[in-house]
Amino acid sequence: MASRAAPPLTCKPAPVALPLPPEVTAVHGAPAPCGRPRRPGRATHQRNLSLDFRSMGIVLPPVQHSSLRRTHHRNRSLDSVLQEIPELEAAEETALKPALSCPRVRRAGPPPPPPVAAAAAPRLGGEDAASLGSTDSGISSDGSERDFRGDVEHAATGAAAMASGPARSAIDSDWPPAGAPVTGAAPVTVTAGTPVTGAGSVTVTAASVTPVTVMAAGDAKPGTQKSWLLRLFESKLFDMSIAVNYLFNSKEPGVQTYIVNRMFSFSEEDTDFFLPQLVNMYIQMPDVAEVLHPYLVHRCRKSVNFSLHTARLLDAYSSDANLSNKKKPLGTRLRNLILSDELRPKGATAAERRLAVPPARPGEQTLSPLRRTHQRSRSDATASYSKGHQRTGSTGSMRCYLGDIGSGRAFDSGCSCYDTAQGKCNDLLGRRVECVCGAPRLRPQLEFIGALMSIGQRLGAMPTREAKTTQLLNELSLLNLNLPARVWLPLYSTGHHVVRVPAQAAAVLNSKDKAPYMLYPHLPQDKAPYMLYVEVVEVDGPETAPVPAKCINTLRHTRSEESLETAAAAAAPAAPALPTTFSLYGNMDAENADCWSQEDDDISQQYWQLRRPRLERERDTISQMSLESADSREPVLIAPGDIRRRLADSLAAPRSTFARDPEDPSAAVLKEPWAEKERRIRASSPYGHLAGWRLLPVIVKCGDDLRQELLAYQLLETLDRLWKLERVPLWVRPYRIVVLSADSGLIEPVVNTVSLHQVKKNSRMSLKEYFLQEFGDVTTEAFLTAQRNFVQSCAAYCIVCYLLQVKDRHNGNILLDSAGHLIHIDFGFMLSTSPKNLGFEASPFKLTPEFVEVMGGLGSDMFEYFKILMLQGLVAARKHHEKLLTLVEIMRSGSQLPCFRSGAATVQFLRNRFHMNMTEEQLQYLVDSMVESSIHSLTTKLYDGFQYFTNGIL
Amino acid sequence: MASRLRPGSQKKQIKEKIVQIYESFFKGEDVAAGNANFWDELFLLRPRVSVLESELARLSSEQLSALKVPLNQLFARCVDVVREEHLLRAAHALQTLSGLVAGVCRQPRPGPQSDAVDLLVGLDAAEREMGRLCGRCAELLAGLYPETLRSLVLDALLAVAAASEDINRNGLLEYLMINSSLFEPVIQLLSHGATRSVHGHKCVLLLTLLVNYRKSEPANPYVVKLSILDDELALNGYSQVITAALSDFNWKYAAQTCDSQSQGWLSSLTSMVGNMFVADELATRSESIKANHGVLVALYEAVHLNRNFIATLTQASTDASSQPPSPQSTLDREQAPAPPAAGQPDPLGAPVNLLVAFLQYCSIVMQDTKSDAATNNVRQCFIVLTCVSEDQYCNSLMHDPNLVFVVRLHRLPMRHRKATDRPAHPQPLATALLDLTVEFIMSHLMKRFPLDLYLQCVGIVHRVLCYQKRCRVRLGYHWRELWSALMSLLKFIVSNENAVVKRNNIFELAILVVNIFNLFITYGDTFLPTPTSYDELYYELIRMHQVFSNLYSMSLRYSNEGEHREAAMRLTNNLVNIRAICNHFSPKIEAWSQANNQTSLTEDQVLDVVRSNYESLTLKLQESLDQYERYAESPRYSSFFTAVVRSVIRDTWSGLNFDQVDHASLLNQTSAIS
Repeated sequence: MASRAAPPLTCKPAPVALPLPPEVTAVHGAPAPCGRPRRPGRATHQRNLSLDFRSMGIVLPPVQHSSLRRTHHRNRSLDSVLQEIPELEAAEETALKPALSCPRVRRAGPPPPPPVAAAAAPRLGGEDAASLGSTDSGISSDGSERDFRGDVEHAATGAAAMASGPARSAIDSDWPPAGAPVTGAAPVTVTAGTPVTGAGSVTVTAASVTPVTVMAAGDAKPGTQKSWLLRLFESKLFDMSIAVNYLFNSKEPGVQTYIVNRMFSFSEEDTDFFLPQLVNMYIQMPDVAEVLHPYLVHRCRKSVNFSLHTARLLDAYSSDANLSNKKKPLGTRLRNLILSDELRPKGATAAERRLAVPPARPGEQTLSPLRRTHQRSRSDATASYSKGHQRTGSTGSMRCYLGDIGSGRAFDSGCSCYDTAQGKCNDLLGRRVECVCGAPRLRPQLEFIGALMSIGQRLGAMPTREAKTTQLLNELSLLNLNLPARVWLPLYSTGHHVVRVPAQAAAVLNSKDKAPYMLYPHLPQDKAPYMLYVEVVEVDGPETAPVPAKCINTLRHTRSEESLETAAAAAAPAAPALPTTFSLYGNMDAENADCWSQEDDDISQQYWQLRRPRLERERDTISQMSLESADSREPVLIAPGDIRRRLADSLAAPRSTFARDPEDPSAAVLKEPWAEKERRIRASSPYGHLAGWRLLPVIVKCGDDLRQELLAYQLLETLDRLWKLERVPLWVRPYRIVVLSADSGLIEPVVNTVSLHQVKKNSRMSLKEYFLQEFGDVTTEAFLTAQRNFVQSCAAYCIVCYLLQVKDRHNGNILLDSAGHLIHIDFGFMLSTSPKNLGFEASPFKLTPEFVEVMGGLGSDMFEYFKILMLQGLVAARKHHEKLLTLVEIMRSGSQLPCFRSGAATVQFLRNRFHMNMTEEQLQYLVDSMVESSIHSLTTKLYDGFQYFTNGIL
Repeated sequence: MASRLRPGSQKKQIKEKIVQIYESFFKGEDVAAGNANFWDELFLLRPRVSVLESELARLSSEQLSALKVPLNQLFARCVDVVREEHLLRAAHALQTLSGLVAGVCRQPRPGPQSDAVDLLVGLDAAEREMGRLCGRCAELLAGLYPETLRSLVLDALLAVAAASEDINRNGLLEYLMINSSLFEPVIQLLSHGATRSVHGHKCVLLLTLLVNYRKSEPANPYVVKLSILDDELALNGYSQVITAALSDFNWKYAAQTCDSQSQGWLSSLTSMVGNMFVADELATRSESIKANHGVLVALYEAVHLNRNFIATLTQASTDASSQPPSPQSTLDREQAPAPPAAGQPDPLGAPVNLLVAFLQYCSIVMQDTKSDAATNNVRQCFIVLTCVSEDQYCNSLMHDPNLVFVVRLHRLPMRHRKATDRPAHPQPLATALLDLTVEFIMSHLMKRFPLDLYLQCVGIVHRVLCYQKRCRVRLGYHWRELWSALMSLLKFIVSNENAVVKRNNIFELAILVVNIFNLFITYGDTFLPTPTSYDELYYELIRMHQVFSNLYSMSLRYSNEGEHREAAMRLTNNLVNIRAICNHFSPKIEAWSQANNQTSLTEDQVLDVVRSNYESLTLKLQESLDQYERYAESPRYSSFFTAVVRSVIRDTWSGLNFDQVDHASLLNQTSAIS
């Protein structure tokens, strides 16, 4: 620890300590002038106090300050030094460049006391305006009664000179990542030693203020309990899970602030995983909201995706009615802020922005103190007003078609910044392209998702499945007119643009499968989940990359038999406005394409046949013969017996798909092997030739609450990770969920799967027989692999089902993938809820004799392996149970979800199911008995029977 | 004013000023003489196009020729004013222009015809004036101008395009060919939902006429442009205009049949009532069929010329095309999937796509082949279907098992069956197409045998089968219906030999039908859905063996003499396999029934016999069963299309009414802008 802290201590003291007017010395909690903004009525909020050393006798050295300007000093406290908020933005827009332009100035330097404040202050000014002040009227409205920009600049420039020294030294010194907090804390230790303040007071501070500071001073003081906390935070083990846990549990504002600051340094994927928890805390816990706010705003600025995710989650989780009126506005306000599209990246440079400010601005500024609005966004907007509107429609009109599906440009924000020569050039150079035209940033994506949802809603209004299918087809072909566009599926994290939605491949799903009981209060009219396959083209940075050009199936350009080549060639220069297709076709535009005739088609057809597999070609010999026979008069004889045999053979050949069932069209759609489907669709797609082409499946659900599924996904994902970490070969398949609102969302379909119900219905055989049919004989490697996969996944899901008490386990909810893995879906009933307590499904998990049969029967090696796996899995899960509990516990707060019906006991029961007090032998015994009881469970059988009778699920 | 106050006073009606001007103009007076501002003022007056037109129409050829100079002057002035910024005057000038063109060209005059171009524009000035006019028209269509004005522009262009009954002799069109800049703005109008709902029909009609001008010559730029058009939105718009017109017709028809049926059910005592309704219905039907001529040609041209258009055949409408196009309903896109207005019979109310609407339309149209016009209509439909069934991409769409639609085919009430339209299930479109052909085959076995239509119809079946064979598509179709329909056709031919053969060369048709059976026999393994269906094919052949042997003997008779000798000989050759099958299995079945002592066998028993006796049968391989002559418009259908376009032009005239302009809105819009 000490060694880590060493570098900062050795760094040179700042060259200057500037004398400042005394009235500014006060930092936090000071009376009006420099007071930290404080919301009225939030007396419980402790943060200011804790960070205020003034009250504890610490007098920070004065900051250079012009008395006219009163900078906002929020962070001129200890924790400010801990700030890890990227300074890039602040640096960019202020004149601070020489001092702070290094983009990675995350950790402030540990300069000797006077500079601490000095360095902190400018940083703060910048930081505040950049990520907090302007956008969060709630938090910093008091402090923002002045023009922030001026503020920023002032603070920045003012501090530049003196900050440069220590700041640089801080930057240059090589910090180990884990050392960050230490560095932050380091100044305090120094402070303790300096004559400026009394050492005694420091210890008081250390004890009472934050654990962080304690830790810093820790070596000197006997380790208090809290120092362990910091040690934990510094340790390598500290990850998002722990962070979220402490964010939730700790009531210490300092700890919370510290954690949020640390979050800036976590990778975005890590934090994104916990976004639901963060959002829920934001809504439910005002103190956490306050510290979280800057982080969320910062991320929202950076990413459209994050903005939309956050807004949706805010929407979804604040929709519960029991939320007190006081709590509600917080989430709603942030949501509105995000959706108002004011959180834009700070693209425009300061110079540009200054240019952009119209003369009317000063007038507005004089108004602003009264209105307490944030200023930054306005300046953004003004920038857009002057710079924007460069786009031109094809007609030359500036109409915006956003949202008008019939227009063909429904998802076109009208922003052409990325398509300009400059934009393309920057893109090639790898430079980040910034949109300066001020076109709506979120709207295209919102409109796209909105379009998907409204399709679902309209499908729900259709009376029959047939009508739904037709409607879906029609709607999608409509949607296609507006693609490609700069939109993407939020379900998948890889950057992509949607280029086409092949309407033929879509399917309306059985919503009946989802409703286990007829009595279950659902509205079949409203539910029309449907499955889509979306063709996308992968790009880096979907927000900026240029959208692929529109192409349509152009096999040839004209079909008329008139000799058009010459005319077309003549017409081509006359009509340059004609949209040419993609360059692949474009090459042969005028010369060849137009005269592509049926003969070419026939030739390519024959070419196809040549390339076909040999077997098929042989079947085609007859037509060859018929061609040949044209010459020879000798009649060729054929045998109708052969013809019929071939017909029978070709039909009897094992088919990879189920026969198309009009009652359940989704079955055939789902069964088709993914690779095959991808190939097929790619072949028929006009975009298939693009390099990054991919097919992504998605289920769109309207009228279903997916928040529980989202929690299930998080739990499964966590389990998956920890089993991998513990090297337990258990296999689960978490499927991604995007919650769009409290009653709609997107689900990632698990490809290459069929439900057990469909297996039974279509193949009419037992699971074991199906395995034999699909994978081969018991002794073959394919079968053994599949069997192992089955066992590993089955054991994993048994644990999941037991721990989470997943219910409603009928065969429609259990899938089998093409490798033999068992996959459970639909976590609508888990934790403390189950479909009516009729006493069904009393067993710990669903393990039917059929499953055991696939494993090789009771007592077989694989069955024993299964039990061992279960034990290992349980032990591993137990080891990391806190991670799971954290997820559940946070989501429980203030939640109306059915899975939390039993309230706090839900979490307790969950904790109990980890059996912390058991030895491994006892656990093993438990597993054995659970397996035993599940196999022989009468209720499982009963439930299957019940499902069969009520819903026809086999 | 006075005339309006006292409309009854016929005797001495005070004429409007504009009418006076017209009259003096046609008297050859120099109207502009006394008034320097005359031309400026003239176009501020609201034109009375009908008066202008009738005044012109009254004139004889000689009189017209005498008026050439003032006419040219007026035309030039009109063009000048159209190009002015003042929109109301431009609108009036456009109306006047349309009136001029209509008056000069619409009425065929006795005596020597003088060239319309010369009369109107003057040959020497024609190129310049028409160029200016076209340029301005394109501008007006493309820019942000009031819809009423655009509508007038389209009217004027339509008047020009339809100036002569024989489109190829329309000299004015030549100048539109030179100035092909009109294409893009028209396409633009089609691509946007709002403008499409207002102008769509006119746009499509105009394009159709333009494309048909000397279409066989390569000089027509509109043919080229239309055929290489690949703007999906525009194509979609084009198809929607057609869909709207067709489904509008379908709905009217369905509403009528619904009415008459329910009426007939309520008052089922008298068939008289029912008959009355049928007659009534037929009358209105033929009326609307005529009105649809232009749309049909438009559909044909698009399908025929533009490859990309095929893709839009199965695309649903973006606006409420399912309803009769009215600006209000189309503007609101939310209404798109809404069910049709109350009282309309389509309970599903799903938006239809073009192919569905077209198939339904065909099923209605082909019920009537009595008049020549109606037959032409059916022929035109079949030509479109032929093009469609030849197209690889369209076939793949029609056979896609995931692309299922409800197609409500209407069936003619006939003596031996009820006129119930079958309950419609969503099905691949190929199924619907086959159903349609089966229906046609079954319902037109009449003395006035429409051979040409039959050839087309069976040709469509053949094309579809060729596609299936080539691509190994197994369509789950109830092939038996097709087989029995084709057999009935053969039976009809054989039994009405005297009536039919004399007038037509039915052997071509018979060969085609027999070839279809041969396709099934030889290549059944590639496209039949089940092995049993192959057995069933044999069962049907054996069951109807009498028909084939009769056909064989008939063809033998004709193969020695007569004009159809060659065709008859080919038919005998093509029948060889079917006869072999019949001859092979019939004794086997007989033997089996004797052995089992059963006089009448069930189907299953026969199928068993068939199954067990395949091995001992050998057939001859027949060549080029899957070859067909690709559709070509010229020379075979050239004259047909000339006639069709003629009637389209007549329809266009009757549809144009230049006076019927919402003058109030025009005033409003133009004044608001200028």
